[in-house]
Amino acid sequence: MKKNKKQKILMIEDDHFLRKIYREKLTRAGFEFVEATNGIEGVNKVISEKPDLVLLDLILPRKNGFEVLIEIKRNEITKDIPVIILSNLGQASDIKRGLSLGARDYLVKTEVNLSEVVEKVKEWLVKK
Amino acid sequence: MLDRNLEKPKMAEVISIVAHQLKTPLSVIKGYLEVLLSEDLGKVNKKQKEYLSDALKNVGRMARIVNYLLDVSRTEEGKFELKLEKVSLEKIVEEIINNFSSWIRASNCRIYLKKPKKIPRVLVDPLKIRQVIENLISNAVKYKRPGEGKVEITLEVKGKNLLFSCRDNGIGIPKEDSKKVFTKFYRSERAMESDPSGTGLGLYINKAIINLAGGKIWFKRNKDSGVTFYFTLPIVKK
Repeated sequence: MKKNKKQKILMIEDDHFLRKIYREKLTRAGFEFVEATNGIEGVNKVISEKPDLVLLDLILPRKNGFEVLIEIKRNEITKDIPVIILSNLGQASDIKRGLSLGARDYLVKTEVNLSEVVEKVKEWLVKK
Repeated sequence: MLDRNLEKPKMAEVISIVAHQLKTPLSVIKGYLEVLLSEDLGKVNKKQKEYLSDALKNVGRMARIVNYLLDVSRTEEGKFELKLEKVSLEKIVEEIINNFSSWIRASNCRIYLKKPKKIPRVLVDPLKIRQVIENLISNAVKYKRPGEGKVEITLEVKGKNLLFSCRDNGIGIPKEDSKKVFTKFYRSERAMESDPSGTGLGLYINKAIINLAGGKIWFKRNKDSGVTFYFTLPIVKK
């Protein structure tokens, strides 16, 4: 039974249009898609939804993505869930900070296309 | 009274905020065009595909301008950071030539790479140096004269540095503009005629990147035609 269960992706992203297009793309790619629109909701949903992977934006209302990442990694129940940062921040220091806090990958929104993000998601789910 | 010293960082800050604000809508438009082009939602005809691709290319163009503006504001604020790593310049140059090959051919241009057998690695930010080399090569191809263009890339070891050069036989740079080449928004009259879409920021940012990595960048007007751009980068000590 478990074999056929769809893998669940949680996207923590405040932009409605980006969530909409990723929902389209990821559900078409065969994933279950859940979403959170701010940092606090994001942390809560990581715990309640137990996703297989998290796509995390950094500039978020109520709690920024770095803080969300710290909380995910600090919690015994959620610490092994792979997190991919998908952000507009592309400075070397942001990337370094994100990866050192435990993100598996760091993608800059304007530099990747949707298919590349889907490929990365698949790649990290295999490595999980 | 206006304090000119105070004005500058403020301007850079405004540019930075605006550029950041533009990034999300750009990512959105890019994503939607990609989904339409992938035909996930249904078939698009040839003409529609062409127009969607043109729109996508222009989103890419806008994203480049936004990134340039962010680099400019960071340079002005002294916040431009490089992620220094040991990098094979040869590999990057070959990848760029390969990626650009069909465009270079379509532009009626030929590109040559001259290099010694063994090339030591340099210390630089791999993404940013790629940006510099892509800019120099695309300038060389874009600003060609009518007829066949020729671009020669050379890599050579000069003491403790690696020297990169990019020589073209293009429209060149007028002598009176020599001092302005690396300044912000500089574009020669001929360049503006040849490619109205340029931003005049590429060389300014190239200079900031090369200087931050501890190298130098300059250019020479060729005797026959065109220009040669050079830069050096420190070789990684063993």
